[in-house]
Amino acid sequence: MEIIYFLLPLCVVLGFFFVGCFLWMTKNGQYDDLETPANRMLLDDKKVELNINPSTRLNKERK
Amino acid sequence: MTLSTFSPINELDTQLKCTHCDEEAIVPLYNEDDSSLQNPFCCVGCKTVYNVIHDKGLKEYYEIKNNSATYKRRSPVDLKKDRFKYLDEPEFLKEYSYQKGDQSNAIVMEFYLEGIHCLACLWLIEKLPDFLPDVKLARLDMTKSIATITIHSDGHFSNVAEELSHLGYKPHPLKRNESTEKLRKKEEQKTLLKIGIAGAASGNIMIYSVSIYAGADGFFLTLFSYITVILAFPVLLYSATPFYKSAYNAIKNKSLNIDVPIATGLLVGFFHGVYNLILGNHTNYFDTLTDLVFLLLLSRYLLNKVQEKGLTANDLNFFYQSASVLKRVENQWIETHPKYLSHGDEIKINSGEMIVADGFITEGKSTINASLLTGESIPEIKTIGDKVFSGTLNIDQDIVIKIEKTGNESRLGHILKEVESGWIQKAKIVELTNRFSQYFIAVTFVLSLGVATKYLLAGNPALALEKTLSLLIVTCPCALALATPLALTHTLTRASKKGIIIKNDEVIEKLSKTKEVYLDKTGTVTFGHLKIEEFHLLKNPQHSIFDIIIALEKKSLHPVAKALKEFAAEHGGKVHFEVSSYQETLGVGVSGFINNHFYEIKDSKIFCDQEVIAQFILKDQVRKDSKLAIEIFKALKVSPHIISGDKEEVAQTVGRQIGLKENQVFSEVSPEKKLSIIEKSDHALMVGDGANDAMALSKAYVGVAVSGSMDISLRAADVYLTTPGIVPIADLIIISKETMKVIYRNLTLSLIYNIFSVIGVYIGFVSPVVAAIIMPASSLTVLISTLIGTKELNKRLKV
Repeated sequence: MEIIYFLLPLCVVLGFFFVGCFLWMTKNGQYDDLETPANRMLLDDKKVELNINPSTRLNKERK
Repeated sequence: MTLSTFSPINELDTQLKCTHCDEEAIVPLYNEDDSSLQNPFCCVGCKTVYNVIHDKGLKEYYEIKNNSATYKRRSPVDLKKDRFKYLDEPEFLKEYSYQKGDQSNAIVMEFYLEGIHCLACLWLIEKLPDFLPDVKLARLDMTKSIATITIHSDGHFSNVAEELSHLGYKPHPLKRNESTEKLRKKEEQKTLLKIGIAGAASGNIMIYSVSIYAGADGFFLTLFSYITVILAFPVLLYSATPFYKSAYNAIKNKSLNIDVPIATGLLVGFFHGVYNLILGNHTNYFDTLTDLVFLLLLSRYLLNKVQEKGLTANDLNFFYQSASVLKRVENQWIETHPKYLSHGDEIKINSGEMIVADGFITEGKSTINASLLTGESIPEIKTIGDKVFSGTLNIDQDIVIKIEKTGNESRLGHILKEVESGWIQKAKIVELTNRFSQYFIAVTFVLSLGVATKYLLAGNPALALEKTLSLLIVTCPCALALATPLALTHTLTRASKKGIIIKNDEVIEKLSKTKEVYLDKTGTVTFGHLKIEEFHLLKNPQHSIFDIIIALEKKSLHPVAKALKEFAAEHGGKVHFEVSSYQETLGVGVSGFINNHFYEIKDSKIFCDQEVIAQFILKDQVRKDSKLAIEIFKALKVSPHIISGDKEEVAQTVGRQIGLKENQVFSEVSPEKKLSIIEKSDHALMVGDGANDAMALSKAYVGVAVSGSMDISLRAADVYLTTPGIVPIADLIIISKETMKVIYRNLTLSLIYNIFSVIGVYIGFVSPVVAAIIMPASSLTVLISTLIGTKELNKRLKV
């Protein structure tokens, strides 16, 4: 049963640690937007290859 | 003699979906080089945006779009040539932009974007820095459709806004009152903290409580009891504060709500636990109580989150003034923001633009569509000296207006103000749970007196106190308080997936009591734009009549021209001919030469060399599902009405078509009159789409804005639909009634549990262990009951 003298404080310390983490996350705004980040991670980070010379089709259209 | 009659085509054999917005393309448009007809478009707006995106080399957008689930339904792009120069004016920047932290080389502004609908939009918006050198960082909040754009200090927001508008997202700059925004965020973070602490504490308490129940004794029993008490402190003294506040406010207002018995239970439980600990007695209910706080807080938080998706009625005015106008300054037209206009200024309104102030025309002559402001379906011609109002649309010619009233003074401004105040003043109902709680409190009070008397008479004051306190704790109506938010959250979430956005949870209960429904005509019961109802060909011309119509009306923006073009395209009309000496006479029609024949379209007739060759009848057509919806309303014992600003004759015809009696149709009603009719009616459900309905929507018992509504109506209403038609409204009433059934069932179930625990206390059977079993069991029962729902409810909410 001696182990309990070690486990008990550990339990409480761990508990406080996670509450602290939660506090920190909330303050940092991690819960402000719950939907977008979940979508954002699906997108690649790579830069898009841009067309430098837009086609004439658009220019015609804009006229 | 009629040669042949063409009827409007309602169902096409093959439905083509617009490449850009997925809306049905009734008259598909194609790019000229798209010979294999791979990419149909529903409108010019979508086609243009598609080409813009392609030409920039951003075609990955469509790959992402086709691979992702639709997040929100979007409607076809309505491209307007808006000007955004005002965004760069220092005065404007000062008010609307801010600097982030210590970055002095960057400016931030937030925009509400119209048309955000899926993952691909997120991709496109956040790629802005890649193709627009001004932008440093772009972040999008999909739930709220708000983009936070950071630009380099030498960049221009007008470039950003123009780019966004080219991509098909109309931007509205948002004024970030930073202090209120920060306050709101802080408030939400606090709620989360309360939930987090309650969750962590209740979880940890459970470890020690289970040890106690399992038979810990001696030193450990004392130690564990102390730990539970210490852990329960922050929960009962901090996390539970919303319940104490709400209970206190209720009592202060001499009323009772469900939080009163909850707060009583929590406080009694807290003192009971501490008191017992001091006495050296290790019974406490902290495991049950902290769990209860956690569950209740969580359920309320989730219910709030679901409602956040709706647009609020705040800052309405600005949405009508997010493009600059041309103001005359020393004989030059200068771009400025409508905010900076005042009495006596002259402004130029180009064709296709919204008029931004009340005034009279000083130059030009044009057709004005006032349907959104007054509900009249037929546009009128206005000329020099005629009054025009803000919120109406200038259809075909450029005009100059001398301003009489701007902003809040204008008719639209007046409506906007009324909407905002209506939203605040809206009568709150005492929710079912709270009405119920009054009886609950009375019964609990009598029972506790009974228990106290029983044990006092037996001559055991200590036991009397213990038993009475236990009773107050175990009857703490946890499941009862969970019953309503759970059922509402479940319904609201599923409804929003079906395209019914409910902004306010009270609506469900109110809807289930609706006795009368008032439907706006233009845009609600009808499509809101003219369509050809009958077309008689009297004489065959040289070429296909439809090709001729398309050729003649190609350039015209008039609603009649639009209707004719749509009709002709449905019947196979194509662009074949060039028209020479084309002329559009305002208020009359169009004319021109095709292959040496003189064609004219006027007075609902088509002429070829002065001879009538075809006749047609135009009408704002009734939606296909309107009649069905009326039948459902009648079956639900909700009496349907039409309330319209349009002419008596038109309104009555529509009324007859959908099966309404003459006295159920109100016509020629001004926005103010609509409001007074709605206010007089008991438990009225108002359905509308235009600015003329907004006041009535905001003050009605329940206001519903249909799909395609003006922004003002979306904001004024309690519910808005993102799918077309009015059958969803009938569905909504059924959904509400069924949800109320689930709530009643939940309440009954939780009451049964409470009765059991009271009996338990009487026969001396209840202890913390029993409470620790009963409480989660009752909550779980309520949860399961909610998830099961009813057969009818599941049928209606099936996605």
